[in-house]
Amino acid sequence: MSLLRVENITKRFGSLVAVGGASLTVEPGQLYAVIGPNGAGKTTFFNLISGFLTPTSGRIIFNEEDVTNLLPAKRVWRGMARTFQITEVFPELSVFENLQIAVETASGFRLRMRLSPSEKQKVCARTEELLEISGLSPKARRLVGELSHGDQRAIEIMMALALNPRLLLLDEPTAGMGDQETHDITQLIRRLHRDQKLAMVLIEHDMRVVLHLAERIMVLAEGCMLAEGTPKEVTSNEAVQSAYLGTAAA
Amino acid sequence: MDRQYQKYVGDFIIWSVLLTMPLWLHLVGGYTPLGTRVLIMALAAMALNFLLGYTGVLSFGHAAYFGLGAYGAGLTIKYLIPNTLAGMGVGLIVGIVAAAIIGLLIIRLRGIYFAMVTIAFGQVFYFIAYRWNNITGGDDGLSGWSRQPIDLGFFKIDILHDEKAFYYFVLFFFAISVAIMAAILRSPFGRTLLAIRENERRARFLGIPIDRHVWMSWLISCTFVSLAGTLYALLNNFADPHDLRWDQSGDFVMMAVLGGMRSFWGPLIGAAMFVVLQDYVSSMTSNWMSFIGLFFVLVVLFCPRGVLGIIRRRQVQ
Amino acid sequence: MTQLILYNVFNGLIIGAFYALMALGLSLILNLSGVINFAHGGFLAIGAYFAFALIPFVGFWGALLIAPILTALLGGVIERILIRPLYGRDPLYGLLLTFGLAFIIEDGTRKIWGPQTLPFSVPEWMSTPLSANYFFLTGYRLFMVALVTVAVIVLFVVLNRTRLGMRIRAGTLDLETVSVLGVNVRILRSVNFGLGIYLAGLAGVLAAGMLGLQPTIGTDLIMPSFVAIIVGGLGSLPGTLVGGLLIGVASGVTSVFFPSASEAVIYIMMGLVLLVRPRGLFGEEGRF
Repeated sequence: MSLLRVENITKRFGSLVAVGGASLTVEPGQLYAVIGPNGAGKTTFFNLISGFLTPTSGRIIFNEEDVTNLLPAKRVWRGMARTFQITEVFPELSVFENLQIAVETASGFRLRMRLSPSEKQKVCARTEELLEISGLSPKARRLVGELSHGDQRAIEIMMALALNPRLLLLDEPTAGMGDQETHDITQLIRRLHRDQKLAMVLIEHDMRVVLHLAERIMVLAEGCMLAEGTPKEVTSNEAVQSAYLGTAAA
Repeated sequence: MDRQYQKYVGDFIIWSVLLTMPLWLHLVGGYTPLGTRVLIMALAAMALNFLLGYTGVLSFGHAAYFGLGAYGAGLTIKYLIPNTLAGMGVGLIVGIVAAAIIGLLIIRLRGIYFAMVTIAFGQVFYFIAYRWNNITGGDDGLSGWSRQPIDLGFFKIDILHDEKAFYYFVLFFFAISVAIMAAILRSPFGRTLLAIRENERRARFLGIPIDRHVWMSWLISCTFVSLAGTLYALLNNFADPHDLRWDQSGDFVMMAVLGGMRSFWGPLIGAAMFVVLQDYVSSMTSNWMSFIGLFFVLVVLFCPRGVLGIIRRRQVQ
Repeated sequence: MTQLILYNVFNGLIIGAFYALMALGLSLILNLSGVINFAHGGFLAIGAYFAFALIPFVGFWGALLIAPILTALLGGVIERILIRPLYGRDPLYGLLLTFGLAFIIEDGTRKIWGPQTLPFSVPEWMSTPLSANYFFLTGYRLFMVALVTVAVIVLFVVLNRTRLGMRIRAGTLDLETVSVLGVNVRILRSVNFGLGIYLAGLAGVLAAGMLGLQPTIGTDLIMPSFVAIIVGGLGSLPGTLVGGLLIGVASGVTSVFFPSASEAVIYIMMGLVLLVRPRGLFGEEGRF
């Protein structure tokens, strides 16, 4: 049973075809990457999966349920969490509070005016655990807005993880980062994949990041699916080499 | 730990000042009803700030619910039951119902659009009060009634003739309201409001239904503003159509900004400064409007983070 | 009865034209600068008082020409000194500052010209009714409708056909790109602010001729202008125009049947529009 099936999905804005018939299948625990040059329709594709946009045609099946027209928030409750290309965190709150809000929401406490001591204990423990996984524990009391871009991205990923997703969608997790930060985030993603057995779909334009991380890769160019397969299959594909690697080299 | 300690000291100072105010206010040139007015305006400004500073939603029409509370209380005491608590109850309910309905119309709007619609909606009630003059007294306001002594059988207090008793009566409601708001802000629900203020998109993707939470925050805020309105009518034994108008809404926003929107007690400080200033200026000159206007301009240009905002920044540096 | 209704529809159209003129100026400023100009009514009053002061020297026509321009210049100066520092900050601050400004202007005009209603003379031939049956059709009223129409047409031509207008409209959609393309955004905003204030000043001169001159003349017109923008849809100038006329006529017609609700009716209309179509009649989807 596959976790996510995208079936021949298209999105048109007026006469512009942003995504023209892309399909993919993600198995539980799989790390899947969507790559392509800028303007290839990656982000549109991603927004279609997460529900920011509704497709012109095609279907999205998540966990054997048709979620094509479901609102983003409802997809979240069904186990689909995402991060954004521009880091979206709560800058004037502490690292701890950022994760705490995510944990409380995930535990169904968002409307509660008070928590019992045992509930409080549970929220605290889970928050600490997430801090531990990300290695952010020493910075728990700092305001997120004061931290580096890489740390903020890590916090965002952990907030998404707090929702206990079956599938984590990462939109260009290393965009705009230096080498060290890129390395740290890549390591974090690898750890989550290995230790938490979490299925992920990530969008990247940085080929290096993807080749070492992903189990399967889809290449988009100008809204169309150019190739799909294991990293090896994709890199040896001629169309990919001319369209993507060619332009990247040039 | 340090910050926690500071917070306790701050709370202790504020409550001691409020509890003892009627005892020393005359020594510094004040009078008890002025202190009562500060409390009431502070309650309104803190209630507004629940929405403004803690949910990040800009309402410029809170005077409507303040005025509805005031008229609800006044009309009830004048025409229906000459009972202070009954009047307050009715005023509160009228304000809550109006806020709930209008809230449904506007929660889908954001930012500056939200502000504009709240301003415009505030005017409806002003015109109703203004035009329906055989009941509301129109432009002259609703007079010919007064708050009644409280008599619960086992407990009697003459808030009508004893100004100090009325001060403590108001302080009682102020304390309850403030305690409730503080408790909400410390709860998981309160934290979702902070999340919405900080980053609506992220909050949505955590699975928080933004519109519903904003509506609830709006309703909580308007509830306490209505309560302040009922108390204000009781203070003056009068309901003024200007309590409903947009200039009053602007005053509330000003109080919150002046004190500091990002601190819980900021609006109290702002309200105290604003009320005292208004009292002083309007007794000194007939051009008080220009002074208040100039004051607005200066605060926006030179003190946008408010008094407590400045103090806090100093500490950080 | 028909005459009464016609009278009120016509009256509503005139009032609606005022609302529209005010609201168009407000919209221009709001769209490009993100500031709700609470002092817009104040500028309207300033335009009217400037005209009042100028009439003894240059006559009605001269005042009609010069007063709005002076108002616009004053608006430009105020924008430069007070409003420019607020761009890009929380819209709250723009609201508060212009709110204070509105207070200062209202009090200032009262201080200078007094609180009483001043006579504002329009040329004799304009104030006599044109027809005995339709007593409300004075030359001045027709002239006002004509002038507002011309002003609106000129405004739309400027916005759609000139380089300045293109830049304003482009800036409304994407200020960053416009500045990258080498347009001086600061100057653009100042000019645009002045343009908006010019419309307020023009409305002021016309309003004074009809309603008489007093310090609160602008304050009474600003709230309906907000409603006009909301009903028409934020971000859409044609919407603002339609919104203004619509609420003017609605309040005119209501005053025939239910006079005490003639003010409240526009807010009820606004509520209905928001219920059915939260972004307003002509508002663009997803902008707000």
